[in-house]
Amino acid sequence: MSVVANNITDERLLIEAAQQDPSRFAVLYENNFHRVYAYVARRVQDRGEVEDITAEVFHTALANLGRFQWRGVPFAAWLLRIAANALADRWKNDRKGGNTQALSDDAWPEIEPGTDADVERHAMLFQLVERLPQDQQLVVQRRFVEQKSVREIADELGRTEGAIKQLQFRALETLRKEFMTGS
Amino acid sequence: MSNVAMYEELEAGINVMLMGDGTLWQPSEKQPGAQSDVREMLAIAVELRRMPRADFRTRLATELTWQAAGRPISPKRTFARKETAVLPAVLGHLIPSERRSMFPSQGRSMAASVALHAMLAFIALLSFVTYRATRIVPLPITNSIELAAYKPAPGITAPSGGGGGGDASKTPASTGSEPRFTDEQITPPVIVLPNQHAKLTVEPTVVAPEMNLPRSAQNGDPLSKLMIASNGVGVRGGIGSGEGGGIGSGNGNGIGFGNGGWVGGGIFHVGNGVTAPRAIFSPEPEYSDEARKAKFQGIVALWAVVGPDGKPKDLSVARSLGMGLDEKALEAVKTWKFQPGMKDGHPVAVQISIEVNFHLY
Repeated sequence: MSVVANNITDERLLIEAAQQDPSRFAVLYENNFHRVYAYVARRVQDRGEVEDITAEVFHTALANLGRFQWRGVPFAAWLLRIAANALADRWKNDRKGGNTQALSDDAWPEIEPGTDADVERHAMLFQLVERLPQDQQLVVQRRFVEQKSVREIADELGRTEGAIKQLQFRALETLRKEFMTGS
Repeated sequence: MSNVAMYEELEAGINVMLMGDGTLWQPSEKQPGAQSDVREMLAIAVELRRMPRADFRTRLATELTWQAAGRPISPKRTFARKETAVLPAVLGHLIPSERRSMFPSQGRSMAASVALHAMLAFIALLSFVTYRATRIVPLPITNSIELAAYKPAPGITAPSGGGGGGDASKTPASTGSEPRFTDEQITPPVIVLPNQHAKLTVEPTVVAPEMNLPRSAQNGDPLSKLMIASNGVGVRGGIGSGEGGGIGSGNGNGIGFGNGGWVGGGIFHVGNGVTAPRAIFSPEPEYSDEARKAKFQGIVALWAVVGPDGKPKDLSVARSLGMGLDEKALEAVKTWKFQPGMKDGHPVAVQISIEVNFHLY
């Protein structure tokens, strides 16, 4: 309980510091990046769109940080609210432009932030990847984000296909164990 | 089950997942990854496809840092890479029949694709010929995201100012500092006064945003080294080689390269008529001993300004790798030579990002 209280106090101090000096926003960004990205990625399929909206959320948040008032709600909730609004705007614009495929079918009406435990799970998973050894991170990025074949990755990294499969296995095995423990 | 068998089992499951519809795919007993552990790993692999790209987080952080510093970010910035129907059209025959009408197969596109792939395979084959045990591949340049580094604020996103002038002297303008900056010019700056006994004198100014700059009593072209008093080879008043009542090589009553007043010749960004600099001499960086021993690999991202002379300057690390590789990257890029970025036919200073890829082969 005291840890939670400390976290909330810390976050409040971070927000107040960033309101005084916008360069302090970096900490809030690092703490919430994966959360916002995961929230948007659940609702938008195109990676470029996800990145655009995520960037828009943080730019908007930074620009409007002075108007943020602390009411005991986590800062992430405010960011997800901005994300929800950005998604709504994007969706309306796409509808007007006749582009109905930009958002996934399940994007609406489930736009209410704050209740999304799945977002937290994804954010945690993305953070866990960053703790993997460098070569395993590289394989995860190439295989799942860039969706390259094992042969392509092996050629690129100058290793055998067997070595890449082994790295892939170890990365997923570590993630599975830590993810299960964290969950 | 042996480890190797599990690797293969997992790989088979991942292949099914990546080739499938994606969002609808769930591991099941019918899938190759039937074993419990492998099935759980496959479930994680599904989620990993939504992970952010490695460089996106850093790029956005850099943008936010600049925004926090009060420097504008272009609203045109976009991370989106719009998908086109070219590839699905090429591979139309591989698409399920219910979706085929959206992407009909195109024989000509298929032929072009085959030719392109054959060419790429040939290039890849050539690369094997030049294979080395340890190789470092510097990726020359990636397009710059909208960041500004030019100190005089009005020139950040669209430097368009400039000015210049002179009195058609035989010698270039002599050195000195800029006069006071105002919104409106009454009289242009000069070094050699045309009338030594003027009855009504007005302070010379140039049209530029107000800035606190150290100034000497002698007006002149700050970029000149000439000490002989001269207004420069330009025309229509002012100082320099341009035209108009300003200072520099531009046209108008501002300062620097460009037209129509204000401050020109700042640092530009690629786009809006500004071409990207191209590396013409790019020796590969060395690997640091520490990183080589640790078999450490990755990408160092640098910011650089390529001047009109094609030399990189103001180098800084945008994404660090550590283990001495940042220093090695900086050391190498400092020696690079570029064909400078161009605007309106003139070489200009352009800010770019450079990714130096350290890989052990």
